[in-house]
Amino acid sequence: MAVAQGLLYTKDHEWVGVEGDTATMGITDYAQEQLGEVVFVELPKVGKEFVAHKEFAVVESSKAASDVFCPVAGRVTEVNTELETQPELVNKDCYGEGWLCKIKIADRASLGSLMDAKKYEEYLKTL
Amino acid sequence: MQGSASPGQFVFEERVSELAPSVLYDEHVKLAGKSHIAAFAGYLMPLWYSSIAEEHRAVRQSAGLFDCTHMGVLEVSGPDAGLFLEVVGTNKVQDLKLGRARYGYILDAAGTVLDDIIVYRRGQTRFMVVVNAANETKIRFYLRHLQEGRAVVDTKSSPWTAKLPKLNASIQDMRDPNRSTDRRADLALQGPACFDTLGKLADGAAASRISELKSFAFVEEKVGGIDCLICRTGYTGSNVGVELFVDPQEAPRLWNLILEAGKPLGVLPCGLGSRDSLRIEAGLPLYGHELGGKFRISPFEAGYGWAVKLDKEFFIGQAAMRRVAESYDMEVARIELSAAKGVRPIRQDDPLLDEKGECVGWVLSAAKAEDKQVALVYIDRKVAQEGKSLGVYYLARSASQAEQGRKQAAEKGQKLEADLAGSVASRFVKY
Repeated sequence: MAVAQGLLYTKDHEWVGVEGDTATMGITDYAQEQLGEVVFVELPKVGKEFVAHKEFAVVESSKAASDVFCPVAGRVTEVNTELETQPELVNKDCYGEGWLCKIKIADRASLGSLMDAKKYEEYLKTL
Repeated sequence: MQGSASPGQFVFEERVSELAPSVLYDEHVKLAGKSHIAAFAGYLMPLWYSSIAEEHRAVRQSAGLFDCTHMGVLEVSGPDAGLFLEVVGTNKVQDLKLGRARYGYILDAAGTVLDDIIVYRRGQTRFMVVVNAANETKIRFYLRHLQEGRAVVDTKSSPWTAKLPKLNASIQDMRDPNRSTDRRADLALQGPACFDTLGKLADGAAASRISELKSFAFVEEKVGGIDCLICRTGYTGSNVGVELFVDPQEAPRLWNLILEAGKPLGVLPCGLGSRDSLRIEAGLPLYGHELGGKFRISPFEAGYGWAVKLDKEFFIGQAAMRRVAESYDMEVARIELSAAKGVRPIRQDDPLLDEKGECVGWVLSAAKAEDKQVALVYIDRKVAQEGKSLGVYYLARSASQAEQGRKQAAEKGQKLEADLAGSVASRFVKY
């Protein structure tokens, strides 16, 4: 199971890459493996605000539909529209082309509760 | 474990036992990696190797090899074996010719489908019966109870209640490693390249006997030097396809020989994912979905009334089937919908809507098949005509959608707004 260095992680298997006050997020390799072939991604509307840990997207695979939780509080500034026609990017490149959306971080303090790559790897071992 | 819910109903709850790896487990790990292997009917089975879509395409254009070693394979033998199966199953057995197989059902006395089965005649008094993996324990338990006179044979008084336990028929598990000889487990090779692949592994005469097999006929031949019972049957809708019954200990060797011989022809190993999408595309029922299940779907509703011989002298569940045959008003239909990029896939339980937006049925199984979505649905017979347009409403897929007001269930007659349009297609398709 690949865990990318330099990213932050949630217990729900979302990843967050922080650049300035923007967070890019997606689901982890563990999550996409568990889901199986992703067939549909429902993304939030650009401009919408979310509190941390609120459901804000749905990833559907051939075997399950999973809520994706907003990893940090903020406003959605961009979504990956490529996923509308190529949902399988989530399987093929979950930390790259399979990203879900970008969020303007409202509260940097909420980043503090996220795990770094090393902690997330340890967390995966407990599952 | 056994109770009585309604007259003649056979109630069985299996205790969850430990998961057994398929006898081909090591081969699956080599080909797919552990992450694509999941628990199914008590076995660890591969979901896919390359991708569901690729494997689906391989079966339609070349051929696919499936691990079906989890399927139950029973031997019913003895002087009364034919009569026993005639009474226990809905289809005829005693007039079955040697080397031929027949599809049918095992029902309880209330008419509930306990399983769909294929019976193979290997001798005057010797039959092989293939049952679903998920139902094997239940069926063996049921048959034993019938033999011991502990299960209901008829809801009315019937001479068969006394006669059935007296029949001389023995039931053996053909996959049992402790069985001394003639052990059998199922592999399936399905698709147009099937016979060319087997032709590389069997000598000329055997290869032509295999490729000349009629549907539901079988021969016993050597493939790659391994004894196989090869039957022209399958669960993919392929016109060309066989199941190979082989000693479970030899299954890994046969598996690898077939994959190697088939490689230049484009033959791929296929998992449970494409097995499901192929059988849905072809219109074939799966126990628990299009048979039995929460709607208690009967063979008549499923489109298999021909496999229930109401005119036989007797079979368990006959009276109930006579009532169903005259009165059923829902049936299984096959519908096709768009699978264009960006279209949310439909799922089990999603309601079907008529032109007025009223719920007339529900999705039982759905899959993506090449460029379209195909679903098997349970629908009012009045609207199940080929070509008829239908709408589908997406039920909530997640907690957040339910919170936003998406319905989580729909009742017949309920008015809803369609999210996607489709139409009723032919009930079955052959490829």
